[in-house]
Amino acid sequence: MNLGGLLHTGVESLTSFTDFWGDLREELNAKIDAVPADVNEYGYDPWGFNPEVCKRAFLPSAILYRYYFRCITNGADRFPKGRMLLIGNHGGQVAFDGAMVGVASILEADPPRLARGMGEYWLGTIPWFNVFMDRVGSAVGTPKTCIDMLNREECVLAFPEGVRGMNKTYADAYQLQEFGLGFMRLALETDTPIVPFAVVGSEEQAPGIANFKGLGRMLGMPAFPITLTWPWLGPLGMVPLPTHYHIEFGEPLHFHGDPNDDDRTIREKVDEVKATIQSMLRRGLAERTSIFF
Amino acid sequence: MRKLLITGISGGQGRLLAKRVADSWEVVGVDRIPWEGAPREIRMTTMDLRTKRFEDIFRVERPDAVVHLAFIRHFRTDPQVRHEVNVEGTRRLLEHCAEYSVQQVIVLSSSYVYGALPENPMYVDEDHSLNISRTFPELRDLAEVEGLVSTFLWRYPEIATSILRPVNTLGYYVHSAIGSYLKLDLVPTVSGFNPMMQFIHEEDVSEAIALTLEKNLRGVFNVVGPGAVPLKTALRAIGIQRISVPDFIARTVIGQLFRFNLYQFPPDAIDFIKYPCTISGKRFEQATNFQPLFSLEDTFASVVR
Repeated sequence: MNLGGLLHTGVESLTSFTDFWGDLREELNAKIDAVPADVNEYGYDPWGFNPEVCKRAFLPSAILYRYYFRCITNGADRFPKGRMLLIGNHGGQVAFDGAMVGVASILEADPPRLARGMGEYWLGTIPWFNVFMDRVGSAVGTPKTCIDMLNREECVLAFPEGVRGMNKTYADAYQLQEFGLGFMRLALETDTPIVPFAVVGSEEQAPGIANFKGLGRMLGMPAFPITLTWPWLGPLGMVPLPTHYHIEFGEPLHFHGDPNDDDRTIREKVDEVKATIQSMLRRGLAERTSIFF
Repeated sequence: MRKLLITGISGGQGRLLAKRVADSWEVVGVDRIPWEGAPREIRMTTMDLRTKRFEDIFRVERPDAVVHLAFIRHFRTDPQVRHEVNVEGTRRLLEHCAEYSVQQVIVLSSSYVYGALPENPMYVDEDHSLNISRTFPELRDLAEVEGLVSTFLWRYPEIATSILRPVNTLGYYVHSAIGSYLKLDLVPTVSGFNPMMQFIHEEDVSEAIALTLEKNLRGVFNVVGPGAVPLKTALRAIGIQRISVPDFIARTVIGQLFRFNLYQFPPDAIDFIKYPCTISGKRFEQATNFQPLFSLEDTFASVVR
């Protein structure tokens, strides 16, 4: 075969390779268009969400969702109409679990929902990333922004463990760390149902060996995890292992009470959510046949 | 007809407001510079608010209401003069208002008093802390003015005192900070940052002040326009070529240019094109049923470069 022919075959196989997510892209675009959103004449909602940017930004996540982590999602049909808080476990050093839950809420729920992530304060100071975060519907997680979103019937995604969960070592895999109380106060204040979820597969994508918090603080980050590949392989070390993801959404939980109750009373309610997620995790782990397949 | 005193009447907002309320109020005005071509029914006196003569206006005219717009909003003057005009000027004005039994006082502040910080919630309400002095000391007079006015508000419950905090004001007449930023030959933006920004048309601000007068409001109110877009989208809509500069370069270069009077804004102003400073206008809307007349598109179209 001459060089021209070889090149032609190469290009052709490349096109067919890029084509294999063509259907996925169309599905994703249609679903993002169907997300209930309040965008103005310039295409932005009040918090900077832009469906067009979101379509392009979510495609890589959707490809990971379908072909890399091969997510199996259950229970997205349990989503209530209107405002809701998605609360679940966090793990795996890099927040792929957040991205996968985000894609699941768009691809699997009917109507598709935009899960609006509540980010750490320092994320707002990272160039480009802060803009990306706004465009895909997330925000710096202040209580005020969260309350406003819920009052406008949005779907808010939060990991009450925060970095405590994300950057723990593998010895604690799937052991829920301390939950913050903030989400429960917000749910009570806005009368929002809580949808618990459990992600199985995230912890093995980048098993943590150690976490040098001091070094992280020096670099202005909340953590500095050490994994099998990071930081030894440089940026490549952040590539997650292709674990098989299972996402389960539970029945919505309704709570009532005074959002300004003392911590002890709020903690009881939070523990109820935590116990639900822990038992969902235990069940998910028991049902899992293989980490990678 | 009741009498209204407008300070800073020769400025863009002063002129718009004077014309807007001329039918329902007898308008008198003061300013440091004369208003050429002012309508005949509007009487204005050229003077400095810091002089003793200012009190005579109150003694002679006995205004029923005062709208205080006489602020230096740019950074081209000596910071001492700016501080004296803004803070000392407001203090004297309030003193005269109390002494000559003015019934209503409106002070035009700005949404900038909240400051632009990365951890800012979106759409803060009036109870949010005024953080401007934390990151932008050149603008601390804004917070000091507000401090004076709120003390006045509580000390004289019989006087309807209100503070209005409008968002970025655009238009043909008003010389706002954001307006001068948009009129720069080279509009800088910060690489990797594109905060949501709210805009309002200058005539909608006049309308808001007029409504505050009409409803005899008392308190602090955010005033918002038709909505928010990212800064760079606004620049594109206005048709502005911009130059994207990394933060550390921008701060160094702008710092030097500002020192030698080659650039209008101090480096601390960069935070406002980097982090969000967005406010909620719900309280004002509920009190007055205010709805901005100008859409975002109209507001952007009103910018003349």
